[in-house]
Amino acid sequence: MSDALLTVDHLNVGFATRAGIVRAATDITFEIHPGEVLAVVGESGSGKSVTALALMRLHPDNAIVTGDVLFEGCDLLNMSDREMRATRGNDIAMIFQDPMTAMNPVFAVGDQIVETIRVHDSSISKQEAWTKSVDLLKLVGVPEPKRRASQYPHEYSGGMRQRAMIAMAIANDPKLLIADEPTTALDVTVQAQVMEVLHEVQAETGSAMMLITHDLGLVAGSADRVQVMYASRLMETGTIDQIFYESQNPYTMALLDSIPDLDGHREQLEPIPGNPPSLLNPPSGCAFRPRCAFAADVCAAEVPPTVVVGDQHESRCVRTRELETLGGEIS
Amino acid sequence: MASSTLVSGSAEIAMATEFEIDSQTDEMLETSMELRVADVEGLSEKPKTFGQLARERFFGHKLAIVGVIGLILLVALFWLGPMLSEWEFDERNVADRLLGPSSEHWFGTDEIGRDLFVRTARGGLYSMRIGLIAAVVATVTGTAFGAFAGFFGGVWDGIVSNLVNLVLTVPAIIVLSVFANKFGASAVGLALVLAGLLWTRIARVVRGVVLSIKEQEYIMAARAAGASNSRIMFRHLLPNIVGAIAVEVTLLLGTVIVLESTLSFLGLGVKPPNASLGTLVADAKGDIDSDPIRVLTPGIFIILIVLCVNFLGDGLRDALDPRAKGSDSSEAKNAKKAAKKARKQSGKQGPGYIAEARTDRTSIGKI
Amino acid sequence: MCVMVCRPSVPVHTTTDRSVATLFAYVTRRVLISVPLLVIAMYLVHVGVSATVDPRSDFYLCLPRCQEGFDSITETYALDTNIFLRPFTYFADLFSGDGLGFSSSVGEPVGEVMRTRGWNTAMVAIPAFLLGAVLSLLLSVYSARRQYSVGDYFFTGLSFIGFAMPSFVLALIIQVIFGVKLEEWFGIKPFNTGRKTGENFWELLRDITLPAVSLAILGIAADSRFGRSSMLETLNQDYIRTARAKGLTERTVVWKHALRNGLIPLVTLWALGFSALLSGSVVTESIFSWPGIGQTFLRALGDSDLDLLMAIVMFTGVLTVIFNLIADVLYGVLDPRIRLG
Repeated sequence: MSDALLTVDHLNVGFATRAGIVRAATDITFEIHPGEVLAVVGESGSGKSVTALALMRLHPDNAIVTGDVLFEGCDLLNMSDREMRATRGNDIAMIFQDPMTAMNPVFAVGDQIVETIRVHDSSISKQEAWTKSVDLLKLVGVPEPKRRASQYPHEYSGGMRQRAMIAMAIANDPKLLIADEPTTALDVTVQAQVMEVLHEVQAETGSAMMLITHDLGLVAGSADRVQVMYASRLMETGTIDQIFYESQNPYTMALLDSIPDLDGHREQLEPIPGNPPSLLNPPSGCAFRPRCAFAADVCAAEVPPTVVVGDQHESRCVRTRELETLGGEIS
Repeated sequence: MASSTLVSGSAEIAMATEFEIDSQTDEMLETSMELRVADVEGLSEKPKTFGQLARERFFGHKLAIVGVIGLILLVALFWLGPMLSEWEFDERNVADRLLGPSSEHWFGTDEIGRDLFVRTARGGLYSMRIGLIAAVVATVTGTAFGAFAGFFGGVWDGIVSNLVNLVLTVPAIIVLSVFANKFGASAVGLALVLAGLLWTRIARVVRGVVLSIKEQEYIMAARAAGASNSRIMFRHLLPNIVGAIAVEVTLLLGTVIVLESTLSFLGLGVKPPNASLGTLVADAKGDIDSDPIRVLTPGIFIILIVLCVNFLGDGLRDALDPRAKGSDSSEAKNAKKAAKKARKQSGKQGPGYIAEARTDRTSIGKI
Repeated sequence: MCVMVCRPSVPVHTTTDRSVATLFAYVTRRVLISVPLLVIAMYLVHVGVSATVDPRSDFYLCLPRCQEGFDSITETYALDTNIFLRPFTYFADLFSGDGLGFSSSVGEPVGEVMRTRGWNTAMVAIPAFLLGAVLSLLLSVYSARRQYSVGDYFFTGLSFIGFAMPSFVLALIIQVIFGVKLEEWFGIKPFNTGRKTGENFWELLRDITLPAVSLAILGIAADSRFGRSSMLETLNQDYIRTARAKGLTERTVVWKHALRNGLIPLVTLWALGFSALLSGSVVTESIFSWPGIGQTFLRALGDSDLDLLMAIVMFTGVLTVIFNLIADVLYGVLDPRIRLG
């Protein structure tokens, strides 16, 4: 797998709390290839964002991170702080969830982009960097970029701020863009516009993107591959068609049943019964077992291993082989 | 809610076949396990009342406990100590002047042979009494003005706010000194002078809290249900501002004691024959080169009293202020939202947080 | 007075001109609001002070022998007029030839007294302010960066004690240690305990060190706590994470991105603290026998020196108003979200 841009191998993230260790991400293994869009889907608290922050080494101080993360062959988790800083914002850039709080309120938007450019290449003069940041703002569709660059974040609307965040993220042509719920905090009408900008930008720069979201609808239109997370683990990985039409995992199926069909075929939405489990003390065996329609005694025995169910398609369920027939019986 | 699930679960068990019993108990075990986890995380399904939570937080606050115990010990020492001593606070014995500490005179004697322990104890009680009166008067006045302004708003709010601004424009310390010099001879007089300048902060705080609570839905609901102004004020608003007031009054108490001792030290507050901790320091000040301990003993007692009071205030704030960190209950979120709203509103007249910082600054009592 | 405006539709190149104009308008309006408030406050203070301070108190015993002196004082301070009208006489005198009047306790014109004493106070206040601001800033950043470390707990404990300590206790402790004990133990006397010698710069430095340090400590105890919580709040903001994600060094993240935000409320405190320092500290100045405004005030109060008392009251009131205004303007300048207008 030498062609992978990012290789994550058995990544674990735990938080030491007074009540014990909370496992926020467990045994995460995946790859991102250059130029592809990988969507990470899951309910809130499933460990998506924590995984992304751990890749950037931006996790909180009380987090314990183990495993291997290789970016172009370099070990991200063990490189020096200086090397890590050179990577952040340069090779890997991140877009955060809430554009209202993610920009520093006391600096002009243009200055914040200039800073991003010049911290990685001090040979660029301030004027050049300013011109470039105006161009970037234009690229992401900020109207009147020249004037807007010298404005402060509070003078931007939410959608415009997220555009500015995108401009800041792509300032140094990163090879990997991590977008952590980039549209969650925005109005529905603006969400589509921002996603469009994100796509154009990604196509233009040719960077890979890790799109973290809980919105399956968003995934359908924009990702090459999808990864489904539940209770800190990866449940299923596959291409967009595999996940949406040939899912082999009960959780993915339940998730798909709980949202409206894109074609409007589904008549009744099926919410998933129960609540997500506690990460402090998860149920034995498969974490989804208490809410799973297919659960059996064998599910409680041990955490199910990942099973390869097709080309690029993996699922974490011990009953994968039986699901085909079982699924027919239940529905 | 959780217990009812368990009960109905067991009822089902009774009717279930043997095979099903297994899975049922399995589920039960699981529910109880989740419950335990929830307890650990403080997410137990049965919500605790605010009072319970507050009590727990207060008693979990080590400094607050230290403060309470410290205050009890200090009052006991000041109250009971002189009863065990054979000396009166103004009993002169010129032959025994300027003695060091001994079993007879625990803290030694002053320059006209009065027992310093008895004088310190009496001074401490006197300082505490003035502090208490001033804090209570300032709180009652401030609460009345603040609640009035916040509740009725409009012109009334404008009048009270300007009154507060007026008092803040007046150079507090100087006016305090002038008036304390005139009225400081009696405990009540001195306390009233102090209260006259210190009620503004409480008025501000209460006004802010009332403004934010007033916007909350349950007050609107009460209003919609036809509750009268006075009913809303006493049944809905007052219970909600009690917490904020309790915190303020404690913090105010510390400020007042520092101010009183300072004025008395300058000779502007408590007058002979009465003694307060401040006058005791002033009395001994002349001999500071030869006998610094005599100067510092009353000073250290002032620090101890104020320290304990502040610890208590800190604990109260953590326990009673739902906005305090460490709590993520829904009420905390509501309060946060309301506070934000209030800040926005007050933002129209000027940044409210500046005013807060400002009053914080003056409350140090730096003279 | 401060209104948040979210969308000023001003072309870039005129933003500066426009904001200067806005600032000027804001300051003008604030001054216009403050002046009547100040005048009312001064009127009330004058009535209050005349009601409580009686410059003739020494004369009552010797009447009628000293009727002449008694009458001249009555005339000087217009004591025979109604107490509520007396402030008008005072303010009228202010703008006539009499100015601030004559100080009976110092024996000089009040204007002259205020000038020399004010300068003395400033000599202590300015170093105290600078020392306090720098140290409280450093402590705030340190405690916020190392929350719950031993150092953080240590400084928290110190500030609790500093908070509970009246200024006279602190000043006396400092005096005992540096003025008395150091000499006793080591035979050196690095600092003077008061009295302005003013012979040369080094002598002056020895004079002002102890009062300036004890004033600075009082400010630090409060400001560093406040600054700590302000910095802590800032360091937990999303934009700090963004700054790190951009690849900035920790130093830039803390000292540029966090400090610029965390500093805003602290600057306000400093402005107000500085005005308090400049108005003279009664306790510290009198303990270190420093002939500043504070010490002069005590003397004026003791001697019922009405004119000097009123001058000090006005000086302090005007300072308070000015520095409140400065604090608000600084707030608007440092935080672009707040528009003064």
